[in-house]
Parts: sequence; C-alpha cells; structure tokens
Amino acid sequence: MTAEGLTRSKPRVFAALISDTFQEARARWLFGGLFALSTLLICIFLFVLQIDLVQGAISILGIQSTTRTLDVGRFVRTSYSFIAIFLYIWGTLLAIFASSGLIPSVLEPGRISLLLSKPITRPELLLGRYAGNVLVIAANHIYLIASIWIIIGVKTGIWEKRFLFAIPASLVIFAVLLCVVVLVGVLSESAALSVMVSVALMLISAILAQTNFMLRVLNPGWSRHLWMTLYWIVPKVYDLANAMKQIVILDRQADWWTPVWTSAVFGVVILSGALYAFQKRDF
Amino acid sequence: MTTAYAIETANLEKTYRSRFRGREIRAVSNLTLRVPAGVKFGLLGPNGAGKTTFVKMLLAAVNPTAGSAALFGKDARHPESRRPVGYLPENHRFPTYFTGRGMLDFYAALSGLASRERKRRIPEMLELVGLKDWGDVRIKKYSKGMLQRLGLAQALIHRPRLLILDEPTDGVDPVGRREIRDVLNRLIGTGVSIFINSHLLSEVESFCEYVAILNHGHLVLEGKISSLIAGRGYRMAVTQIPEQALARIRRLGATVVSSTEPIEIQVVTREEANEVIDQVRAAGGLIESVSASTSSLEDVFIRATASEKAA
Repeated sequence: MTAEGLTRSKPRVFAALISDTFQEARARWLFGGLFALSTLLICIFLFVLQIDLVQGAISILGIQSTTRTLDVGRFVRTSYSFIAIFLYIWGTLLAIFASSGLIPSVLEPGRISLLLSKPITRPELLLGRYAGNVLVIAANHIYLIASIWIIIGVKTGIWEKRFLFAIPASLVIFAVLLCVVVLVGVLSESAALSVMVSVALMLISAILAQTNFMLRVLNPGWSRHLWMTLYWIVPKVYDLANAMKQIVILDRQADWWTPVWTSAVFGVVILSGALYAFQKRDF
Repeated sequence: MTTAYAIETANLEKTYRSRFRGREIRAVSNLTLRVPAGVKFGLLGPNGAGKTTFVKMLLAAVNPTAGSAALFGKDARHPESRRPVGYLPENHRFPTYFTGRGMLDFYAALSGLASRERKRRIPEMLELVGLKDWGDVRIKKYSKGMLQRLGLAQALIHRPRLLILDEPTDGVDPVGRREIRDVLNRLIGTGVSIFINSHLLSEVESFCEYVAILNHGHLVLEGKISSLIAGRGYRMAVTQIPEQALARIRRLGATVVSSTEPIEIQVVTREEANEVIDQVRAAGGLIESVSASTSSLEDVFIRATASEKAA
C-alpha cells in the first residue's frame, strides 16, 4: 500500500501545528514561565488584599457606603480599571517576549525544509504557528485576568464583568503585535529584533495617540497630516487601553471598535506581508 | 494518476542573488532529469555541486529561477505533489522536545495520516527502524544514528511512493550506516522509488541502479550504473609467458597490471586485446581468462567531473 489513502485535512494540519507550538512553548519554559509569573502576580495581589491597610479600607468603604458618603462601586471600578490597564500592558509585553522565539525557531535550516516537504502550503504552516502562539498567550491571559477578577469579586462582593474586557483587549493587541513579530521573524530570523520592533511600536503608538496635543503644537499643515496619517496606520495600543478604562470605570460605551478595527487592518496587512515574504524565501 | 516518472525536471535552474551586491551564483543550471518510478536512483556530486538545492527545488523549499519540476506528473510547486513523498533532509534538526513517538505523530499528521492510522503505524515504524524501546524517550537523548533511523521512519510512515534521502548516512558510524542500509533494503520490491543524494560513491554504487552526476550545477552524466561502469576495456590473465614477449606486449600499448603469475594485462580496445592474445600464444604462453573489464563508479565520477572542469 502506498500513499494513495492519505487525505487532505486542514483541521488536522492546523491541530498538529498548534499542538506543536504548545509543546515547544512548554519545552522552552515559556508556557510554564508565563503561568509562573501570572501565578506570582496573583499571589502578590492576594497578599496585598490581605494586608491590614487594604482590609481596613475595604471595611471602611463598606460602612461608609451604607451611609452613602462614598461610592464603593466607583472606587472598586477605578481599582479595577487600573488593574486592567496594568494587566493589559504587563500581559502584552510578557506575551511579546514569550512569543518572539517561536517563529525564528521554526525557520531553522533542517527543520523548515522538512516541514515544507509535507503536503501543506506555506501560508498554512505560518498561520498554524501564528494561531498556536495566540492560543498559548490566550490561555495565560484568561488564567491571569479571570483569577484576579475572581479574587476581587470574592473580596469585595462586587463582580464587575466589564473588567473581563481586558482579556479580549489584550489579546487583540497581542495578536496585532504578533503579526509584527512574525514579519520581522520571517525577514530576519532574529527573536531579539522582533521584540525590539514590537515594543518600539507600542511606544510609538502611545506617542502618536496624543493627537489633541500634537495638532495644537504642530504648525505646518503637512506635519499635522503626517502625524494623523501615522496615527491611523499604527496599532492603537493606547486608544484601546483608554477605551477599556472608560468602559470599566465610567460604565459607559466608549469607542473601542475604532481602535480594534484599525489595529486589525494593520495586523492583516503586516501578516499578509509576512506571508508574502515567507512564500518568496528559499530555505 | 500514474506516470512513468517519479521525478521529472525540465531546464530547472536556480540562481542565488546576494541582496546588496547583486552578485549571482548559479547553483543549478538547466537541469533536465527523469527518474523512472520504482527505481533506486543516486544523485552524486562533489560538495557544492547543487545537489541539495536540486532536492529542495523538488520539495518547494527553494523556488526555481527557471524551468519546471514534477513529482509523479504533478507540478512540484503544488502541495499535493508532495503527498506521496517521504523526505529525510541533510543536517535535519528535529525538535528535541518530542519523544520518538511524538515526532512521528506530528509529521505523520502533516503528511495527511488520520489519527487511527497514526496510532497503528507508529509502533510498526519504530519496530522497523529498531527503536521499539525508545518511542517514549525524548529525542535529545538519541544518538546520531538513532536520529537518522527515526528520520527514516518519519519519511516512511505515510507509505510514500517516493523516498528522497539527502546524505542519509552523513556523520553516521559504520554500524549506523549498515542499519540504515538494512531498512532501505527492506523496501526493495515494494515499488517505492528511492532517490539518494550523496557524495559517498560506494553507498550509491552498492545500492542504486541509476545515477546522475552533478558538478557546478550542471548534469554531467546520467545512466544505469551497470552500463556506466562496464565496457571500459579488456583484462586478461596469462601464465608461462617469457619476459621478452611481455616487453613486446607493453610496446603494443597494453598495461601489465600484475607481473606475478597469473600476469594481468589490461588493454583498451578489442583490436589490442586480439593482438595481445596472438603475442601470448606465439610466445608459448597460456591464456587463463579474458574478460571485459569494468571501472568503479569512482573512476566514472572522476572522469565525468574532470572532463566537465576541462570543458
């Protein structure tokens, strides 16, 4: 019997590639490392909630809230929003560091040529790896953010579901920045460069997001246009954090959709570039 | 779809261009080659001849600059053309986090083998390559020879119709080489085409039926090994021949290979052979044997690469 009985199954290929990414993340201590750091953060958080000062503050807020001198809900929501933003930045940075090596490793000579010899397309291979990477990070984000939400909920009795918005928000931004990691990884095979470019992009995005101020101080019209063009091009790391803060603290509909779709467009363009570069490369 | 050729290339070419200087290196040039289905084919060439580039073009790891390649009649750029192919790369780097079993499962899934079939085939393959007791051990603990055998199992697990092996015994000790040869020998008669890319002439000569020789990216020789190494002259063994007669024979252009009895004489043409026989009989000598002499694949290889260099 020869290869005639073999079947083409995309889900099987994707499942294998995703499982491979998980195994590699586990073997490189990325999976364990991320979970260990998240657990450490959760423990620190638990510890902070146990110290007398915080315990007292929670009790006082509880008493005062009955006399309506303080809005406990607002206080907890504000705390929630700060924690959400912290987790958003912490999670995204950690995720980029953790993922940076997973693309170059698959491009190692002797490994990539064997993968390419299989009956799969190059986009399938790269997208499978990308999806695996996102899922590794998603597992960690869900664990970290949901754990903190449960702890705060148990401690204060206030279950603020909007806090969980930090999970998709962090994942969207991570998924977009991972496209940059993939592109830089495919072009340079350098994990360090991938991290540098992605983190720089996060910072640049925060600077470019100061549009109100910059439009006031920039004088020539072209420089304002240039600023706004760049602002619309790069992923909206800052704007999404801002939207998350407004949703969690102010309990109001913030414009989260614009930063999401513009960032997603950026991600799709960059990932398409990575796929094109990957398709054209010789291994 | 059935086709007479496992591999078919037409004017295949690969030129590497350096990104900044624009310098060009032609790794494979205008290569047209046909490998019949079901045969054992060896691709030979010195280091840097373009063998690995050629193999990688067949497997779409390298994009050709010009020309075409097909596997069993299907365009080699199409992923489906690689489904009936098993491949063991040179200097492979299998992920060390896998166990032997895990690695076979991963590559078999990518080859299109369903889960149930993988569960059945993995123990069979581990048994075939002599790693039955090593399946659950992480492969970072494997020796080079064990890794090669596991690589071979990976290449065979989906029952390929074409097995492409790139320097399969490179860096493997003699025992490991024999084990690999044993596995390959078990494939004889199964209809699997075996394409071995190697610079080890003895390996190709002892295993393959057909050979092609690449040098500087050009195909310099191709054919059936038995034909290539045959018919390079005549060798005769003679006894009781006087020294003066031997001197006359040397003057005819014959080479006296061995001067102790039986004396071995080598000539190139049939006419020379007949003349030497006449001389031996006239001098009262006895002819013990006359046979068409063969040259080793090494002789063929050196002649082919040297003449290409001279050209």
